[in-house]
Amino acid sequence: MRSISRRGWQRERRDDLPLSEILHVLWGRRLLIVGIVVLLVLLALLFGLFRGPEYTAEATVSVEPRDRSINGEERVGFMEEVQGAVVTQAWLRGVMRRAGWEGDPREFKDRLDFETVPQGDKTGLRVRFSGTGPEQAVRAANAYAELFVARVEKLNDDRLAGGALAADAVVESRAVSPEGSSLRLLLYAVAAAAAGVLAGGAGALLLEGRARSWRDARDAELTLRAPVLGVIPDYSSVGEED
Amino acid sequence: MLDPGSPVRRHYEDLAKNLLSIGEGVKSVVVTSPEPGAGCTSVCLGLGAALAGMGSRAAVVDCNLGNPQLHRMLGEPNFVGLTSSLRGDRTLEHYGHEIVPGLLVVPAGPVPSDPALLETRRFVEVVRGLEAGRDAVILDAPVAGSVLRSSSLSSSFDGVLLVVHASRTPKSVARATTDDLLDAEINLLGVVLNGSSGVRL
Repeated sequence: MRSISRRGWQRERRDDLPLSEILHVLWGRRLLIVGIVVLLVLLALLFGLFRGPEYTAEATVSVEPRDRSINGEERVGFMEEVQGAVVTQAWLRGVMRRAGWEGDPREFKDRLDFETVPQGDKTGLRVRFSGTGPEQAVRAANAYAELFVARVEKLNDDRLAGGALAADAVVESRAVSPEGSSLRLLLYAVAAAAAGVLAGGAGALLLEGRARSWRDARDAELTLRAPVLGVIPDYSSVGEED
Repeated sequence: MLDPGSPVRRHYEDLAKNLLSIGEGVKSVVVTSPEPGAGCTSVCLGLGAALAGMGSRAAVVDCNLGNPQLHRMLGEPNFVGLTSSLRGDRTLEHYGHEIVPGLLVVPAGPVPSDPALLETRRFVEVVRGLEAGRDAVILDAPVAGSVLRSSSLSSSFDGVLLVVHASRTPKSVARATTDDLLDAEINLLGVVLNGSSGVRL
């Protein structure tokens, strides 16, 4: 070029997408984004409603081996051995009776969930029970924890495995009434809305890249990051050319 | 658009004013587009007519030797024009004619078998000769890819005006073209958004 110097906008970095352009694109396709958000929220609420109400109660039992030489990772293995010794079919039927469970024993087992958690010198067993009602969930989790402790004491008395699995067990925390399903539905809705914003935003940016329609001069300026010197309206008096 | 009373005229006048406001040095402008069909030729004619209507002496030269459109848009023959001047020794003024007072149009002329005519020194010379007698020379160029490959179109004149069509030009292509022009250190003066439905006539 001859005499005209390059202007400031021509020297700007162009390889990154500025926030202003992203916001412009998202605003331009707000209906798409809102539509996706609404759809996902509705699907999440329907899923939550059809899945039925579910309450999860949690109790924790701490188990401390009487053999002080057991420490570190050995405690996890010890905990598993104790659990293996405690949990038998007959014992589980006792838990179901105490919990007032009258349904299928397999379903009861499916609703139980365990996790071994370290608790300082002790090892904890976190018991979760998902029930259709809050009281049922609390009863089952507490029944499991209480009978677990009782069974460990019984095994201590019986000197299980020659006393190698002797342990002191206490109910560290009892299950309390769990959060209601309305909160769960709300969480589903919030998660779906967030997913909808992300999916809608990504879709809007994708569509914008492939779009052939320019809304106005501002759209062109933000897309091309160059000044728009003129906007010529669509007029039909001049035919196709080029 | 050649009619001063045309409803589209004021939009071209705005374009002409914005172009003139860039600086005194802008005299020869290469008008191109990312893809065919953006309406470069109509923008060239509209801009030329607006400049002429504002009292400037303007000229539009069809440099799109591969697909000349200027004569078609005006409904005129293409017996002589730019290529005639490039092959001979006469000026572009000789092969053009004023379609409205102050606006000279020069068609492409007979299409050559060798499109490298635009790469000759003679091409720059004849446009310079036209500039001497005109306030503004508008070069109706081929698509931006050809402009980028042409050393004369990309670097011998004052700047490039990029035309994008509001319903035909893909945004991604326009963006890539803009980046390519700037990466090639071409003096991109700005963009014209043609065929916009968001503007009232």
